[in-house]
Amino acid sequence: MDYFIQQLVNGLTLGGLYALIALGYTMVYGVIFLINFAHGEFFTAGGYIGVIALSYCIAHGYTQTHPFLCLAGAFSLAMIYSAYLAVGVEKIAYLPLRGSRLAVLLSALGMSIFLQNGMMLTQGVMDKAYPGELFEGGFSFGMVTISYLQIMIITMTVLLLFGLNRLVYKTKIGMAMRATAQDKTMSALVAIGSNNIISLTFAIGAGLAAAAGVMVGLYYGSVHYDMGFNLGMKAFCAAVLGGIGNITGAMLGGLIIGLVEVFGAGYISGQYKDVFAFIILIGVLYYRPTGIMGENIDETRV
Amino acid sequence: MRQEYKKIWKNYAVGMAWLLGLLWPMLGIHPDGTLTFHRTLTVWLYIFAGSLICVLFYITKKSRILSGVTDPLVNGAGKLSDISKALPTSVWMVLLFVFLLVYPLVNGRYAIDVAISVLLYVCLGMGLNIVVGLAGMLDLGYIAFYGVGAYTYALLNVAYGLSFWLCLPLAGCFACIAGCLVGYPTLNMRGDYLAIVTMGFGEITRIVLNNWMSLTNGPNGILGIKPISILIPTFHNTMSFETFWVKKLNVLYYFVLILAVISVIAVTRLRNSRIGRAWESIREDETAAELMGVNTFRYKLLAYAVGAVFAGLAGAFFAARMRFVSPESFTFIESCMVLCMVVLGGMGSIPGIVLGVIVLIALPEVFRQFALYRMLVFGAAMIIIMLFKPDGLIPAKRLKIQAQYEKKGETDTNVS
Amino acid sequence: MKKKVFFMFVMALAVVSFLFVPVNSSSAKTLKIGTMSPLTGPYASDGTDIKNGALTAIEVFNENGGMPGYDKIKLYPMDTVCDPRQAVATANKLLNLEVVGVIGAYCSSSTIPASTVLNGADIPMITPASTNEKVTDRGLPYMFRMCGRDDDQAPAAVKFMKEGLKAKTVFIVDDKTTYSQGLADGVEKNCKKMGIKVLGHDHVNQGDRDFSAVLTEAKTINADVFYMSLQGYSPAAMMVIQAKRLGLKSKILGQDAIYQPQFITVGKDAAEGVYLTYGYTDKSTPEYKAFAKRYTKKYGAIGAYATYSFDATTVLLKAIKAAGSTNPDKIKAQIMKLDYDGVSKHVKFNAKGDSGSSYIAFKVENGKFVPYWSPAKGFWK
Repeated sequence: MDYFIQQLVNGLTLGGLYALIALGYTMVYGVIFLINFAHGEFFTAGGYIGVIALSYCIAHGYTQTHPFLCLAGAFSLAMIYSAYLAVGVEKIAYLPLRGSRLAVLLSALGMSIFLQNGMMLTQGVMDKAYPGELFEGGFSFGMVTISYLQIMIITMTVLLLFGLNRLVYKTKIGMAMRATAQDKTMSALVAIGSNNIISLTFAIGAGLAAAAGVMVGLYYGSVHYDMGFNLGMKAFCAAVLGGIGNITGAMLGGLIIGLVEVFGAGYISGQYKDVFAFIILIGVLYYRPTGIMGENIDETRV
Repeated sequence: MRQEYKKIWKNYAVGMAWLLGLLWPMLGIHPDGTLTFHRTLTVWLYIFAGSLICVLFYITKKSRILSGVTDPLVNGAGKLSDISKALPTSVWMVLLFVFLLVYPLVNGRYAIDVAISVLLYVCLGMGLNIVVGLAGMLDLGYIAFYGVGAYTYALLNVAYGLSFWLCLPLAGCFACIAGCLVGYPTLNMRGDYLAIVTMGFGEITRIVLNNWMSLTNGPNGILGIKPISILIPTFHNTMSFETFWVKKLNVLYYFVLILAVISVIAVTRLRNSRIGRAWESIREDETAAELMGVNTFRYKLLAYAVGAVFAGLAGAFFAARMRFVSPESFTFIESCMVLCMVVLGGMGSIPGIVLGVIVLIALPEVFRQFALYRMLVFGAAMIIIMLFKPDGLIPAKRLKIQAQYEKKGETDTNVS
Repeated sequence: MKKKVFFMFVMALAVVSFLFVPVNSSSAKTLKIGTMSPLTGPYASDGTDIKNGALTAIEVFNENGGMPGYDKIKLYPMDTVCDPRQAVATANKLLNLEVVGVIGAYCSSSTIPASTVLNGADIPMITPASTNEKVTDRGLPYMFRMCGRDDDQAPAAVKFMKEGLKAKTVFIVDDKTTYSQGLADGVEKNCKKMGIKVLGHDHVNQGDRDFSAVLTEAKTINADVFYMSLQGYSPAAMMVIQAKRLGLKSKILGQDAIYQPQFITVGKDAAEGVYLTYGYTDKSTPEYKAFAKRYTKKYGAIGAYATYSFDATTVLLKAIKAAGSTNPDKIKAQIMKLDYDGVSKHVKFNAKGDSGSSYIAFKVENGKFVPYWSPAKGFWK
């Protein structure tokens, strides 16, 4: 039983991270029907800015005096930076190509390669160590160990998801986003600047990914310039599993993929854990071709 | 006109300022807590100077300030294409063939090696073109069939000593079966759901190849694959056959060239056939195609199967050339690269795909001199080509007509 | 339209083939050497060490008189990204550049196909890092190895578990590469022979960051030793961090790939107390001190394979100098004759092309790799 609970906690942590990254994919897909391959790189950029900000704080000794302020600062800086990066990427590589879906897909892939190598050149090929001392420690119940970091990740994920849901369903901006997703021409007629809304969607998605990047850095101890591709791909699977374009679906998909991976590795075999994730994905899509929550014409789509 | 330039300069200025903001946190904040600007500004100035030249070039071209210089050049190019028109197509075709035949004789082994890569990917691109370009199904796991072909030859050759020529059709067969296996459950999915499921299948194939130790030897790969052999008649006393092992790259080049030429011809013929038209009708509108009496289920499955055959054949050649296969060669990013070749060249257009393959295989090799900057430049080149040629380098004719038609009407972004 | 397309192709091909024509403009006689290692990708730090080690060797060699008959020695560092296809492509590229010898590659899975190409063209290749047995066991005439062999490292590791750590049970994890899995399988086989019980052997995938599932399993099984066979320091550092957080009580034993200062930088506290096996290098020899002084000044901390790469390059250059020609058979004869104290160890090749292994166990203590135990002498004092 202890073993099961421990693995459940592991799975939830991993699933939460996947869900945060998956949200960016799903939101972007919802408004412009693009698989944004560069999304994984926004996540990595967030991780790097987080470590840069934290090292700066440590060098000046701020972590001793205001540890939580430093952490909040690192999170917000990373989120702002990634959002800023995403808007730039959108304007340069995606905006001129709106309308031809495969061209923009290729441009996204090119952007992913470009950003990955850009980060390699500016940050070096070595892993960057994260100052992880801030959140060391945890609780133990018998054999089950839950670290503060895991609690933080799960809490942060829930908070960010809750905030996003409020934003999309309860505010004017959210309404504009949903309108743009449904029909760009009609929403333009009611004075919604669709280009601005699309940029905003990119920014929010990248911000969430950046938060995940900082958490991944803290949790796993280091960031590396090519970590975005692998995690990004899994997160994209999560988005599709949940029904791409659907926010609740992305959260659900992320959690399912995370849990399947961890339980697959824990109970059956570590080497085939990705296969289990993909089999679940294929199985679900075979019976529900638009994912768990997805429906093609649905007002909940963002 | 002036308004337009103002806009270009304004956008350029905003872009450069934006870039500075992106660069500084990455380059200017050091882990020891110091802030510097020197390195950021140097890097930024390099990019600034480079892009300024590009923008100036673009503007002078647009405003025709240098028309005195450029017009003769353009005219010259026009004359060149006149020359190309003066001779019949067959002459150019013959010239092209002569060139392809002479190529390994005048080049070093590195250039031949790159050329073999290009030809193998032409074959792959042709196969994927059937699935993506003609039938309109986005496939992100195509490289799995390539892997199936490569492993078929590798395993049969190493375990049973079967010769290459016997394994080649078998590799095609197995890839075809794999294509049907993947195709069958995915036929009721559309667009990006299909893409992600094919990606899943591709990854499953790779992971299984990597983990099935007893069959594939896992990550160690399969060593000691025999090269292609041909029987050459010898006339010493009586006529007998002697086995000749194709170890030299330039002989292998000719074999791969034959494969590539066959696949180009086959796909051209297929496209213009009844089947090809059925595929294109499915791409344009599946529901309408079904109403017109096209058996969409059968034709979609056929597209998968035929596409996979080409990949399987190319895979067998790949194994014979490397004489070593391991699962690392069949990753997701490879599938993406083949897709890029098809889209970059121009979907459904055969010369376009060949050009796309040349660009995507030869460019990284040419860029090798940039060392660490190689893939950075490669990524940027991909974006720039797409920005200026969104329909591909040489768009297919039918798509071109459609694009003109769409320009007149309202474009709908929701076409898959 | 069609004509234009064909015309364009002829032009394009003509241009492309021009790009590949090697430039032989310099009249000065240059000795060309290639390195093959991953300069980008996840193993870039080790690959960069190999390149830097070779550069240092050339620098030293030039200071000691250089190569008679040549004006300079030029190094062509090639990036293999640890991908077999890139390895073959770069091997062909190096052949085109007419190099006389190659140092590399890093991953065993790259070295094996690349060595087939290079040996087919009679170019000597010395690997500073590929430990898989098959690298030299295939009977290739011009394949040499500077580092140790996996089938020497596995018994050394198991002997250390039994005698040094007094272990009775072990749990093994590898990340499914030619190198890591070969080693893990070797350890498993040797454990059975030596009477250590293998309680489990699980795998993770390359590129994974989350090892919580497999570590939870290891924690529940609670073997005496947790044997971690991973390619590169980066996943190893992440694994020890997660192991510490989870409270894994087993002693962690790694292998040569994690002998890399970055492992401690990233792992921090979690890296403390981790054991690993790595070829012994006497750091008190004048050769090593001279190398360390020169290398750290220019490139910073010395990674796992910098010394081996330095020695491999020196061996090649010494052999060419002694042979007085670039004929591969003569170079080989001279390489076999070499018998001197290198930076990493005493250099002497056997008939297979191996130079012997000297695996001992290290322990991470106070942010340093400290020699802890050797199969011959027992505990280090």
